Amino acid sequence: MTSTDKDTEALSALMDGEAQELELRRALDAIDRAPALRSRWQRQHRVSAAIKGQRFADPSVDVSRGVREALEAKSRVNRNPVWSMAVAASVTLAVVMGGQQLMLQDTHIQPLVAVNELSGAVVPVSGAQPVQASLGVRSLPVENRQVMPTPSSSANIAAVYERLARDRYMRLNGRHATVAAQSHPAPYISYVRIPEPQPEE
Amino acid sequence: MKASDTDQQLVQRAQRGDLRAFDLLVLKYQGRIAALVSRYVFDPGEVEDVTQEAFIKAYRALDKFRGDSAFYTWLYRIAANAAKNHLVARSRRPGADATVEDAEGYDEAGALAEGSSPEALAMGDELAAVLQQALDNLPDELRAALMLRELEGLSYDDIADVLGCPVGTVRSRIFRAREAVDQRVREQMSGESGFR
Repeated sequence: MTSTDKDTEALSALMDGEAQELELRRALDAIDRAPALRSRWQRQHRVSAAIKGQRFADPSVDVSRGVREALEAKSRVNRNPVWSMAVAASVTLAVVMGGQQLMLQDTHIQPLVAVNELSGAVVPVSGAQPVQASLGVRSLPVENRQVMPTPSSSANIAAVYERLARDRYMRLNGRHATVAAQSHPAPYISYVRIPEPQPEE
Repeated sequence: MKASDTDQQLVQRAQRGDLRAFDLLVLKYQGRIAALVSRYVFDPGEVEDVTQEAFIKAYRALDKFRGDSAFYTWLYRIAANAAKNHLVARSRRPGADATVEDAEGYDEAGALAEGSSPEALAMGDELAAVLQQALDNLPDELRAALMLRELEGLSYDDIADVLGCPVGTVRSRIFRAREAVDQRVREQMSGESGFR
């Protein structure tokens, strides 16, 4: 039995749901190498339908090429680096905006700066109690420390971040919309729900 | 294993992005889907467009297919909706297509007969005649294996039990029977589209 015969036999077994995974791969590879096998697959399905007494409206209908071209074009768009960049930019933007929102929510909490009365630095940690870094000195209770508001203008920083984020959002949003419009192949078609006809099988 | 396992195998590969596997599903079902669409849409060019659109929609929705129903049943629903949406869009423009109610009321056999061109009907008759001749000329053991598979839908294991031979022999006989029939069909119908 030649290699071509083995490929054709694998295709025949695949038709009957009797092909193993390895044979399926073999059949698909063989079809890539020999397009005649593709025609054979289609022809044998028609013959099979005819043996069962089924009849198609028009056996000359062949949309396979159009379908494949449309799907390959879509696949190319998805692999386009501009598209990938737009998606990555959107994700980055979402993260930045999310972080910004969290910062704005936290502005009502005044950051604390502890002034150490003893030796050793006191490190302010957002959302936690001050931590004293000291050597051999008992750490101070927080209540004993002198706490004063941060002199830095956190509100101004937040505003600057927000403006930067907005600018970036506007810039990326325009690019994203352009890429999306170019890559979306089908216009929106409104969906209607109507009682289903019964399938043939 | 059943024939629907073939679809499941191909669907799983297509879900992983293998367009070749989806291409085999298109080749297998495009005739039946076109027949379904032609129940709704009369213009042959539009039948092709809607059929193509249905397969593209199916591929895009393939991730949502979980195998709860047969692939063809799922595809059938997509194609029927695509045809109905086409009719709804078409109703805003002048045209002679069937209304949704008309299409729903059709029985399939009648719609097929009405929707088929005389050439397609003649080709169907010719194919049936060529097939009968090809099957008659097959050696008994090949014809028996093929008929048990195609008409009775038996698995290779069951056919092996019925015929009292190894599964490998069944597989080989069905393959050789198909080859012989295919050769006959190609010789007799090489001038017809779809049989080259």
